[in-house]
Amino acid sequence: MWREFDKFGKKLVQYGLTHSHFGNMSVRVGDKMFITRSGSMLDELDENQIVEVHLHKPTSFDIIASSELIVHREIYKNTSALAIIHAHSPFAVILSLLTDEKEIMPVDSESIYFLHEIPIITGKVGSAELAHNAADALKDHKAVIIKGHGTIAVGKILEEAYVNLCCVEHACKVKYFMDRS
Amino acid sequence: MKWYGWAGKLVDIDLSHRRIQVIPLELDMMRLYLGGRGLGVHLVYNELTSRTDPLSGDNLLVFAAGPLTGTPVPTTGRFACVSKSPLTGTILDSNCGGRFGPYLKFAGYDAIVVRGASRIPVYIRIADDVVLIEDARSLWGKNVRDTTTALKGYGSVLCIGTAGERLVRFANIMNDNTSALGRGGLGAVMGSKNLKAIVVNGSNRPNVYDANLLQHRNADITRLLIASPVSSKGLRVYGTPVLMNLINYMKVLPIANFRRSTSPHAYELSGERIHERFGVKLTPCYGCPIACKREIKPSGVEVPEYETLAILGTSCEVTNLNAIIEANHLCNDYGMDTISCGATIACYAELNNLQLDPETLISLVHKIGTRKDVGDELAEGAHRYAKKMGHPELSMDVKGLELPGYDPRGVLGMALGYATSNRGGCHTRAYIVGMEIFGKPKLIHRLSWVGKPNLVALLQNIFAAVDSTVMCKFALFSVSEEEIANALSAVTGVDFTSEDFIQVGERIWNLERLFNLREGFTKLDDMLPERFFQEDTDVKRISKSEFMSALLEYYRARDWTKDGIPTHDKLQTLSIAGEYSHVA
Repeated sequence: MWREFDKFGKKLVQYGLTHSHFGNMSVRVGDKMFITRSGSMLDELDENQIVEVHLHKPTSFDIIASSELIVHREIYKNTSALAIIHAHSPFAVILSLLTDEKEIMPVDSESIYFLHEIPIITGKVGSAELAHNAADALKDHKAVIIKGHGTIAVGKILEEAYVNLCCVEHACKVKYFMDRS
Repeated sequence: MKWYGWAGKLVDIDLSHRRIQVIPLELDMMRLYLGGRGLGVHLVYNELTSRTDPLSGDNLLVFAAGPLTGTPVPTTGRFACVSKSPLTGTILDSNCGGRFGPYLKFAGYDAIVVRGASRIPVYIRIADDVVLIEDARSLWGKNVRDTTTALKGYGSVLCIGTAGERLVRFANIMNDNTSALGRGGLGAVMGSKNLKAIVVNGSNRPNVYDANLLQHRNADITRLLIASPVSSKGLRVYGTPVLMNLINYMKVLPIANFRRSTSPHAYELSGERIHERFGVKLTPCYGCPIACKREIKPSGVEVPEYETLAILGTSCEVTNLNAIIEANHLCNDYGMDTISCGATIACYAELNNLQLDPETLISLVHKIGTRKDVGDELAEGAHRYAKKMGHPELSMDVKGLELPGYDPRGVLGMALGYATSNRGGCHTRAYIVGMEIFGKPKLIHRLSWVGKPNLVALLQNIFAAVDSTVMCKFALFSVSEEEIANALSAVTGVDFTSEDFIQVGERIWNLERLFNLREGFTKLDDMLPERFFQEDTDVKRISKSEFMSALLEYYRARDWTKDGIPTHDKLQTLSIAGEYSHVA
């Protein structure tokens, strides 16, 4: 499984969707979750950088899991997602800071078709507030943007979450330039 | 002069002559050493002569709180004790939670210096200005719980059990039953002075220079403690046993005296399992929001720490949780270090080719605590025992101090930290586990030497300063030297930058090194047991040539010679150049 994490970790960094340290990924398997370690580099993942934690109760591995573990847990408990990618994608961050709206409406056809509106949520890193807001918004969206922070995208597999995350970034990039043209 | 943070005086007690003196402290010295470990190291270095017998009246015991002890800064309800170790012959500092440290400050003292030896058993009672040396003959022969019960009406109790009376070389001093001044035999030093206990109480609070600013500084620290998964999700939820599954997963759990490094039984000893099996009550140290200490309900028996589970448990190949809980409780009651006790038993088991069962483990703890039968030899510690039996290679120690619960083959920063530790095989001097295991503040590759020598030196400096404030090391999983320096400035009114703070630690570290050099230790003592260079576990053995290169790089990072001796220039920078003549 770590090879899938490695594959999409490399893609995230390679295509400028985030920098090496800024993001995390997880996959749900039954009542367990595999998640990237806190402090791991997304473009240098190996089997030691993925840890297994329980979905419903704390485990000792919580302390080395991504600091956004609480957010991943809440999303899995409240949605049908089986994979999550969070990345500090630059255009999503910029656009969320440029607007006072609670959502971004894409202007490109692909994103309108796939994403509809993209919610902008708030909450501090690794906080219960962020976990609640993300899980709530992802009940009926494929991705959300945390204001000034980054994108969370979900899917049934990591690849689907990756596609959704790319779609958000593409939508934000197009809209950013459109708004300024 | 009005003091802030510090009380500004210490009480000096000569047990040989039953003389008690209150001595004022100088601000310039406190700037240089802060308090706690630093003050103790300064006093012990200057007052002891080379080759002092640690179990004679000539040895000194310094109990010292820090400028933050007893203030509202989180996790600072701690104090240190410094002396010459009867186990290692090195300088030894130990650090303890409980309530004694704050109460000492409330009584109006930064430190207690105990010198000489009494002819009869005595205890010291301090209540503000009243300092008494009392007859303790009726307490002699009692263990820690009974002694504490007898004296707790007078305040916070620091005492030895019968292990300290019998000069077990790894005897502890215990605070309020379960908090330990552990490692290296401070309890034996206390026993050699015929000093059974010190009880302290006080009615004053330390002055704070800028209470409003401190509120902001404390808010910063609290926010970071809450945000860090290690403090708020790990230690807070499961205590230090949270480490058991993690360390086993990383294949660095000591098994069978470090012959293996993973166990299929680790889960049985884990924080998760302990909480499944028992009702648990948190028993935090004074002023600590992390609250890693806990006891089992309703018995009140203490939950063993991770190090105990690993060394008294898996390293002895005993994985019966009830047996380890009992052995831990016995060690605390006799007043013995659970790491050294477990490591010595593990060494004994390997040397005699024994497979220990729970009953034998408990029986051996009793024998060591009472120095009966083989317990008399084991009470000397693994190093002396293995050497006496003709197999020194089977003692897993550095400088005579038995190694704790991290197999250095899988954590190379820890390997260098063990080897260069001034008090011997100890994980808390550099405490690089934060980075190599938890990834805090940054995950680093635990099987690489790259950058480690510099990092180990830096962390040793930081923790020496932290031990002098006196703050809990666990807070450093969340806060940095910057937040601590800020809090220190707000409390004392003395401006400390993070660089000043680290330099205090570096000064202390170098002075400790000078003490050890004066005692005859050399670079050859900065070495790990040969097993780690010769044998693989699930992790490969350490390359000795790479280790030696890292050691040299470490000396360079410290501005020491290639023989590990601080240079005159370095000591001058640290304002301790006057000590250079001892090593030149």
